[in-house]
Amino acid sequence: MSFHVSRPASGTQTLWRVLLYSILIFFALIYLAPLYVMVITSLKSLDEIRAGNLMLPPLDPNFDAWAKSWSAACVGVECSGISRYFFNSFKMAIPAVAISTFMGAFNGYVLTKWRFKGADIVFALILFGCFIPFQIVLVPMATILGWLGLAQTTPGLILVHVTYGLCFTTLFFRNYYQAFPDELIRAAKLDGAGFFQTFWRVLLPNSLPIVVVTVIWQFTNIWNDFLFGASFASGNAAPMTVALNNVVNTSTSVKEYNVDMASAIYAALPTLIVYVLAGRYFVRGLMAGAVKG
Amino acid sequence: MASLEVENVVKRFGPVEALKGINLSADDGEFLVLVGPSGCGKSTLLNMIAGLDSITEGRIIIDGQVVNDVHPKDRDMAMVFQSYALYPNMTVERNISFGMEMRKVPKPERDKAVMEVAKLLQIEGLLKRRPGQLSGGQRQRVAMGRALVRNPKIFLFDEPLSNLDAKLRVEMRTEIKKLHQRLGTTIVYVTHDQIEAMTLATRIAVMQNGELHQFGAPQEIYDRPANTFVAGFMGSPPMNLIPARIGKNGAGVNAEIATADERTLRLQLNGQAASLENRVNSEVLVGLRPEAITDPESRDAGAIIQEVECLVEVTEPTGPDMLAVLRLGGIEAVSRMRSSSRVRPGERAKFAVNMSKAVLFDPETEQRI
Repeated sequence: MSFHVSRPASGTQTLWRVLLYSILIFFALIYLAPLYVMVITSLKSLDEIRAGNLMLPPLDPNFDAWAKSWSAACVGVECSGISRYFFNSFKMAIPAVAISTFMGAFNGYVLTKWRFKGADIVFALILFGCFIPFQIVLVPMATILGWLGLAQTTPGLILVHVTYGLCFTTLFFRNYYQAFPDELIRAAKLDGAGFFQTFWRVLLPNSLPIVVVTVIWQFTNIWNDFLFGASFASGNAAPMTVALNNVVNTSTSVKEYNVDMASAIYAALPTLIVYVLAGRYFVRGLMAGAVKG
Repeated sequence: MASLEVENVVKRFGPVEALKGINLSADDGEFLVLVGPSGCGKSTLLNMIAGLDSITEGRIIIDGQVVNDVHPKDRDMAMVFQSYALYPNMTVERNISFGMEMRKVPKPERDKAVMEVAKLLQIEGLLKRRPGQLSGGQRQRVAMGRALVRNPKIFLFDEPLSNLDAKLRVEMRTEIKKLHQRLGTTIVYVTHDQIEAMTLATRIAVMQNGELHQFGAPQEIYDRPANTFVAGFMGSPPMNLIPARIGKNGAGVNAEIATADERTLRLQLNGQAASLENRVNSEVLVGLRPEAITDPESRDAGAIIQEVECLVEVTEPTGPDMLAVLRLGGIEAVSRMRSSSRVRPGERAKFAVNMSKAVLFDPETEQRI
C-alpha cells in the first residue's frame, strides 16, 4: 500500500519533467541512431548510398541487399552468401549454451545442496575463471584443441565456449540454489529420491528463471563472440561474426554498404529475438538470483 | 509402527555442542513431543532421527535396530516440514505420490493410495492443483498427505503448525490428534508451543540449549517440573516461583513469604516436612501454578488448602476466568480466579492456596527439591 498522494504539478515541476524527458529522448535517439542507419542503409540501393544523405529514409526501399547478403555475398574468396555461417553459429551456439547451462546447473546443485569439504574453495576457483580475459587462454586452448584433434571445427569451438562459460553459469546457478529451500531437498531425500532424481525432478523444474537468465547470457556471449571464432574456427566452420568480418573486409571493386549492413543485422537478429522473447524473465531472474528469499 | 530409542546422542557443529547427550524413548504408538525455545536443538534431534543430519556420538535405535548409518529413505519414516516443502512444480497428486514413485510402486496402486489419503484428509478436490494455488491450511493437509500415504513406521513433524494462523492452528492440532488416535503410529513432533505439546503428547521432552531438562507425561511435567526452566516454560501464564524461607514452628514446617505490606505469610509444607528438615532457614522458591491460587469458593476439594489474604495489584479478565496479579515475596504472582470473582485492584482479598500442588525449587541449582 502506497501512501503517495499525487498533487497538482506546480509550474517548476512541469518544467523539470519536460527537461527530464527531453534529455532522455535525446539520449535514446543517439543510441538508436546506429540501428536506424543500419536498417535504412540496408534497404537502399548502392547508387542511393553513394549520393550521400546518410540519415534520410530510402527512396525505393527493397530487400535486394538482404537477399544478396544471404546467398551471394563474398565471404573471403567464396561468394555464396552468409547463410552457411549463420547456421554454423547456431550449430555452435545451441549445443554450447545447452551444455554449459546444464553443467552450470549441476555444479550449482552440488555446491549448494551436496556440500563437501572445500566446496567454497572450489566455488571461489570456478568464480576466478570469470575474470580471466579471453586473450590469455588463446594459446593454451589452441594447444589443447590440437591435441584433441578439434582445431578449426565446430565441436572444438563448442568445447571452448563451454569451458569459458562454465564459470558464469556455475555462478548463476550456485547463487540461485543457495536461496532454494533446503527442506525441499530433504523432503526429496526422505521420499527416496537419489542424487540425480532430486536434481531432475525437484531442482531443475523449479529453476526456470535462472535457466532463462543463463541461456540469454550464454547465447548472447557465444553468438557475439569473435575472438574464439576467429582463432579456433576460421574457414568452413567459421561462425557468423567471423563471416561478417570477412564480408565487410573482402576487397572487391566496390564497397557494398547495403550488403554489409544487412549482414550485420542478420548477425544481430538472433540475440535480439532472444531478448524480446525472454527479456522479462531476465530482470526477474537476475533479481531472483541476487536477493536471498 | 515402531519403538524409538535415542541413546546418549551428541551433535557437534565444529566446537559447538548442539546436543549434549540426549536420552529419550518412545514406545510403539506413542506421541512424543520435543518442546523448547528456538535454538534448543529439538529440530536438529528430529533431523538426526530422520537421518538428515549425522550423529556425532550415541545411537538411535528403531525397533531394536541401530539406524545410525541407515540412509533416510531406508528408515521408513515420513516427515512433515515446517515450510511444508511441497514440490512447487508438481500437482498435489504428484506431490503425494512422489515418494511411492521413487520407490517404484506401480501406478494403479499409487492412485489408490492417493485417493485413500485424499479422502482421509478431505483434499480430493485439490488433487489437480499446484501448491502455489493452495491456502496455508490446504498445503498443510497436502504435506500431511504426503507423509501419510507412505504408511511409515514413524511420523516426524517439524513445527508443522507454526505457519498457520491461530484459529487454523487449533483446528489442525485436533486433526493431528485424531489422526494419531486413528492410525496409532508412533509420532515424534517438534514444537516451541507448550500448549501444542501439552495437548498432543503422550510424552514430552523439554529441551533447552541442547540439554534435555525433563522427559515425562504431560501432566507430570506440568505438575512436577524438574527445574525452574521447565516450570516457567510449560504453562501459560507460567508457574509462579515465589522466593521464600523455610521456617519451623509449632505447627510444623512452613514457607515464609514476604507480602507487599511487609507482613509474613506462612504456607504450611507439612506434606513434604520430612525432606525439608535440613533446609530450615534456607531460601527456596515455592512453585505454584496460577490455578493453585484461587478464590476460596472455587478451591479444589480434598486438597490441602490454606487461606491467605493478599493485596491485588491488577486484574485481567480473560473470559473463561480472571487472572489477578498479587505481590508475593517480591514478585508478581498470578492467580486464576473465576470470571465472576469480585476482587478489585488495590483491595485486599482472600485466596485459597492449594498447597498439595506446591513444588519447591532450590534457588541455587534451580532443581526441584
